[in-house]
Amino acid sequence: MGLDPVSVNLDQKLLEFMDQLELLEEKRQRLNSLIEEGWFNISKARYSMGNKQVSALQFASEIEPQICVHSSLSEKGNVEFKCERTEPKTEELEPSGTVENIGPKEGGLRRRTKIKQKETTVEETSKCEKESQDSIKSEKSPCQHQDPLKWFGILVPQNLKQAQAAFKEVITLSAEIATLQSAILATRMEMQTQMKEKHKIQSVLEG
Amino acid sequence: MAGRGKLIAVIGDEDTCTGFLLGGIGELNKNRKPNFLVVEKDTSITEIEETFKSFLARSDIGIILINQFIAEMIRHAIDAHMQSIPAVLEIPSKEHPYDASKDSILRRAKGMFSAEDFR
Repeated sequence: MGLDPVSVNLDQKLLEFMDQLELLEEKRQRLNSLIEEGWFNISKARYSMGNKQVSALQFASEIEPQICVHSSLSEKGNVEFKCERTEPKTEELEPSGTVENIGPKEGGLRRRTKIKQKETTVEETSKCEKESQDSIKSEKSPCQHQDPLKWFGILVPQNLKQAQAAFKEVITLSAEIATLQSAILATRMEMQTQMKEKHKIQSVLEG
Repeated sequence: MAGRGKLIAVIGDEDTCTGFLLGGIGELNKNRKPNFLVVEKDTSITEIEETFKSFLARSDIGIILINQFIAEMIRHAIDAHMQSIPAVLEIPSKEHPYDASKDSILRRAKGMFSAEDFR
């Protein structure tokens, strides 16, 4: 005697549910080990920089997120989270903006004789204008997406960079876990509704 | 804010918050409200609960990460949250390793196999 379709469906859902739980377990283990690695590196950095150099006191007064999650509702009714990292724009702008200011403002030899004085004054005024424009540009592009690593200093130990890398991975992993948790709850709901259906059919057959 | 995406919020001890902020999830919005809470020894449970509820109410938050030992303090509030957005994720802390049996989601999933469901 074959099983009724509701029972077959229920069995499939149960297997799917078990697979999801197994995957969650794996991802959880990975997340836990990565977080541990991150803490360990933070502690190492604290040891080399000083006790109070890596704490909440160093957080910047202006904080902009560099990562965001996009949520979308799938066909099955569970929510999918996807991480998206915004690339820091200042890193691209910094070389063109700052190097010009630091370097020599006049190339070549300076002509000190007073011949063609008028021309030089015109050149100087144009240069001044350029400089002022540059300074305005550099003022206009403050570190909107400043790397949080710079809150703790310019030359931070390698451990802090490793901690940052570990936590970046934790963030993407946590989005995956959130998706999986949502899928587990959705499967559970489906199973419950199918279980009720099965009970109904059974009661009809018995009655 | 980056694009139209949602933020990730954190409620945790100092090192957890520092780590996640290093990862780039931190935000201070126009009203100077952060998307994180550093829980210290003198942080009250009501403060934690209020912050958690304020994160739940914010439409720009997609995931809330919370240390499991802090989640234990406000378990009733976490269990009462049934929506899928924001998703609540319990993470370990330095002194308290992750215990799957305490996790809200896994306890709900475990509830699937209780006697009630098979009646």
